[in-house]
Amino acid sequence: MSSLSTDMLGPRMQELLSARFVIVTGKGGTGKTTLAAALAQVAASLGKRVLLAEVGPEPEARSPLRAALGEEGQAGSIEPVPAGPNLWTVLLTPEAGHRAFLRDVLPLGFLADRAMKAEPLRRFLSAAPAFAELGILYRGLQLVRAEQKKHVPLYDLVVLDAPATGHALAFASLPQVLLRIIPGGPIGRAAREGIALLHDPKHTRAVVTTLPESLPVTEALELAKGLAQSNLTVHGVVANLVPHDPFTPAERSALSNWTRTLPMLGARTLQRLERARAALARLEAAVGSVLMVPERETRGRELVSAIAHDLAQAR
Amino acid sequence: MSTSPDPSSDRLAALLRDKRVIVLCGAGGVGKTTTSAALALAAADRGRRVLVLTVDPARRLAEALGIPPHADAPTRVPEELLRKAGVRPGGALDAWMLDPRIVFENLVKKLAPPEKAKAILDTRLYRHLTELVAGMQEYTAAEALHTFAENQAYDLIVLDTPPSRNALDFLDAPGRLSRFLDEGIVQMFLPREGGGLLRRAGRLVSSVFVRMFGETFVQELQIFLGAFSGMFSAIRAHTEGVRALLGSDQAAFLLVSSPETAALHEAHFFRTQIEGRALPFKGFVLNRSHARAATLPHPSELTHDAEVSQASLDKLKPLADRERSQAIADAQVLDELRSRAGAHGLAVAAPHLGDAVEDLSGLHQLAQGLLPERPSV
Repeated sequence: MSSLSTDMLGPRMQELLSARFVIVTGKGGTGKTTLAAALAQVAASLGKRVLLAEVGPEPEARSPLRAALGEEGQAGSIEPVPAGPNLWTVLLTPEAGHRAFLRDVLPLGFLADRAMKAEPLRRFLSAAPAFAELGILYRGLQLVRAEQKKHVPLYDLVVLDAPATGHALAFASLPQVLLRIIPGGPIGRAAREGIALLHDPKHTRAVVTTLPESLPVTEALELAKGLAQSNLTVHGVVANLVPHDPFTPAERSALSNWTRTLPMLGARTLQRLERARAALARLEAAVGSVLMVPERETRGRELVSAIAHDLAQAR
Repeated sequence: MSTSPDPSSDRLAALLRDKRVIVLCGAGGVGKTTTSAALALAAADRGRRVLVLTVDPARRLAEALGIPPHADAPTRVPEELLRKAGVRPGGALDAWMLDPRIVFENLVKKLAPPEKAKAILDTRLYRHLTELVAGMQEYTAAEALHTFAENQAYDLIVLDTPPSRNALDFLDAPGRLSRFLDEGIVQMFLPREGGGLLRRAGRLVSSVFVRMFGETFVQELQIFLGAFSGMFSAIRAHTEGVRALLGSDQAAFLLVSSPETAALHEAHFFRTQIEGRALPFKGFVLNRSHARAATLPHPSELTHDAEVSQASLDKLKPLADRERSQAIADAQVLDELRSRAGAHGLAVAAPHLGDAVEDLSGLHQLAQGLLPERPSV
């Protein structure tokens, strides 16, 4: 994608990409990874330095995020690695977050490294409920706040491909809950700072992904509501894989009657188009405008570029 | 429905008939919860007393099953609903949407003497613990399984798992939560004779803890863990008991996937996890696929009435062509899953019933699509 200028984007997209931290969240299978990569690509084309992040306990053989960017079979990387012009990718791990926190909290850096080698502490951190999630949040915020020189952020924008929803709401409310349990000391302080950044709409925005189908729409609406209740700004909802409907209402009705009487190829697609119309109508009624990303045949980096193009054009 | 025998379907039916526990794993968004409910329903249809335990469910599923979404124990799916959906009498179906808070509270009440239970449940830490724990879902499933496997109220338990990659962590002895409560770690926090915080830990670790958490929290943790101390061996025994059951020939693990690359990758990841723990992997359920559509006729081969215009047919044709090539590709995915499942494993494709199954009849239809014809009574 060649370079863009901000005024070529629609106002909503401009507003979203002017944040420092964009969290792409939604149920499994709704196209979060592809959308996160596409958003990052648009921002990178604007000349912003963009870090595209995913979450995991440790690097595994295949990073879905890197695969989306055309690097199939590559592992996620704990330190940011280049992935294109103005673009880096990183894997956020709990251990990196714990280590970063200890370094920030203990007077001497090498003490943190030594502490992380202590077996009882490592077992506690890896086994204690919620500490994994806290480590990930801390590492994410560390990268958002990293500076290349004084008051100049290392990354203009961090886009997070959040893990599947089961945990998204827990993540969002984590700092507040933590503050209730551990109000004092460095953890309390970190929690307060984290909360301030997460709740500032200029700083952090969430985008909820969904599919044009009944259950995913219901779940996306519940998620958006839950996030808003945790004071996380939900910028909007994106419907992925929206099928193209070539039929006029009259054609649709006639074909519908015919395929109802006779099983045949194509009938399923017709039914799917019908369900998509209903689901999108319900979604729009609930949230106002919805960004719709059309379904495509392409895959991999080409798909990400095509969606980035759609996003740049969106009005 | 095909009348020719399908070994995979037959094997699935045998699992529903013979096993005590069936666990469903797989990525998010592939229909694990729906499949769990459908298989549980099918087993009830075949005369067994079944419990389905679900996590992360849609409220709609609770509505479909006619049960409250936030119960503190399993709820019986009403007989009238089962009959209306076409399920034969003789079996029974209970369902429970697992809430980590409730499962944990039941555990505390069961294992700790009343004063200690109260002490635990009263701590600020406890009250917020289950909110803190995104990972509690995994442990919750193990604890629930343990309770019901013991009490013989059910012939079969079908366990839906959370979509996270940690879904099977609860099976690691001693398990994520019990590792936290592991006496070695806990001993660091409990007051020792003669007093003094964190006696056992090295100086560095103790200063880290106090510095990180503050004195108040560490004291709170001491109360919590002190009261908990009587429960550790019981919790460890539970985890080990569950592990033994799940590793035995009374259990079966099934992987649910869709034809999407990401979902298939997750399925293979989970399979490695399952076999790495020496658990009985039995095969795959392929959802959201067109694998069964390959033999449908093409609209251009059929007669139509005047209402259907040539223009609309011309628009329908490419959609039908695409369905056909998807059907062929999905059928190949199914074949590959069959060979990966091995000589005694299974791979079935679920009938495509729209985006989600709305009610019990839908679940019943789904089950019928996965299994061979029921022998007539």
